[in-house]
Amino acid sequence: MSTTEGAGVAQLLVSLQLSDSAFPSGFYAMSHGLEGFLQRGVVDRDTVFELLDDMLVQTVGPGDATALARAHGFAARREWDEVAELDRQLFASKLSSELRVASTRSGRQLADIAGETFAGTRGGDDIATWAQRVKARQTPGCQAIVTGVCYAATGVPMTQAVVSDLFAFAVSFAGAALRLRLTDHRTTQVLLRRIQPTIEAVAADAVARPAADIGGFTPVGDIMSAAHERADARLFTS
Amino acid sequence: MSDNVLRVGIGGPVGTGKTSLTEALVPIFMAAGRTPGVITNDIYTQEDARHVRRELAGIIDPERVVGVETGACPHTAVRDDPTMNLAAGEEMLERFPDIDTLIYESGGDNLTLTFSPSLADVFVFVLDTSNGEKMPRKGGPGITESDILVINKVDIAQYVRTDLGVMERDAHAVRKGKPVVLTNSLDGTGVQELFDTIMARWQLSRGEIVA
Repeated sequence: MSTTEGAGVAQLLVSLQLSDSAFPSGFYAMSHGLEGFLQRGVVDRDTVFELLDDMLVQTVGPGDATALARAHGFAARREWDEVAELDRQLFASKLSSELRVASTRSGRQLADIAGETFAGTRGGDDIATWAQRVKARQTPGCQAIVTGVCYAATGVPMTQAVVSDLFAFAVSFAGAALRLRLTDHRTTQVLLRRIQPTIEAVAADAVARPAADIGGFTPVGDIMSAAHERADARLFTS
Repeated sequence: MSDNVLRVGIGGPVGTGKTSLTEALVPIFMAAGRTPGVITNDIYTQEDARHVRRELAGIIDPERVVGVETGACPHTAVRDDPTMNLAAGEEMLERFPDIDTLIYESGGDNLTLTFSPSLADVFVFVLDTSNGEKMPRKGGPGITESDILVINKVDIAQYVRTDLGVMERDAHAVRKGKPVVLTNSLDGTGVQELFDTIMARWQLSRGEIVA
């Protein structure tokens, strides 16, 4: 396995499959904090882009994206204990219960599905190794870590892996915004195009950021999430 | 997930009685020696879960009833991407290893709702007589493809200008021999038959897998 090779068509196809909104990662049921902000009346159609931008820069980039990048590196060398340590670190950095539950429910199912999807193909054995640890509850199974393992095992280069997962996040967030009537089918696409420079910058930072710095500092987001997980009515799991 | 755990998916349009049917089935499963847990998929998370807990207080531990968020789209959560439901089921079984029956109640949705085969062993689709007697004729994957079609609220057919005989005849016609069960979940009419049909369908599907 190599992390230095260029991204070929095979790796591009893996990226497209794993980041596709049709991939059953559980992202469909997540709003990634957006519903909590909406319930508190602190986001509207005019500010939803800024919220996505902030989340990418302040939360997802230092958290999931950085953990994915570091996990990718360790997984490419099959240093599974180090991957497990990253998993514990990322899990601990998610302060609200709903974010931990959303991430691990998604990650555990992803590990299970990827184990079957990639069986007998490049990377299948490494993905199965990690999926077994997740299934045995030897590690929390955060989504970003499982995703990093899948990308490393299949030879998808680190930056492409991080960008792919950030884009999957943005598409999921935008889909939630659509269902919450904060965007429509046209403005959703405008939002996804406008956010791409941010994804580029956030990915570059994540690839360079050391594991010791995993985790963002977003107290307002944590408060919104804490309120959301106790809300009487919720459409989304996060 | 163990092959010995029966997973029943109950779906159908809003207000057809999926929740009350679930509540009527739980005691029958228990009387038959099975140990059920219930996972609800409401439009908004907790309403159906709360109702089931309240109605079955003293019969089933409230912790064995959980609600799962659907991302505003119940059929996606039980068909296209059942990830969160599968995870909730696994967590329920880890927490309560004695559970051998999981009842997944979908949020109310339209006639196209179907359950992923990876989520439910037996898929029950619920109509009621107030949907109108033309409803079975309209078809749709839920009506034609479900393992069991239930026509609920048979007691009010006369008040909503529905000829139950027509509804039942059409249901059999579009389902090509697959079972149709008539129920009134509030007084228990047909619920034992529904349970028997669920178990028969499950045994049949397990036999097919073994074969």
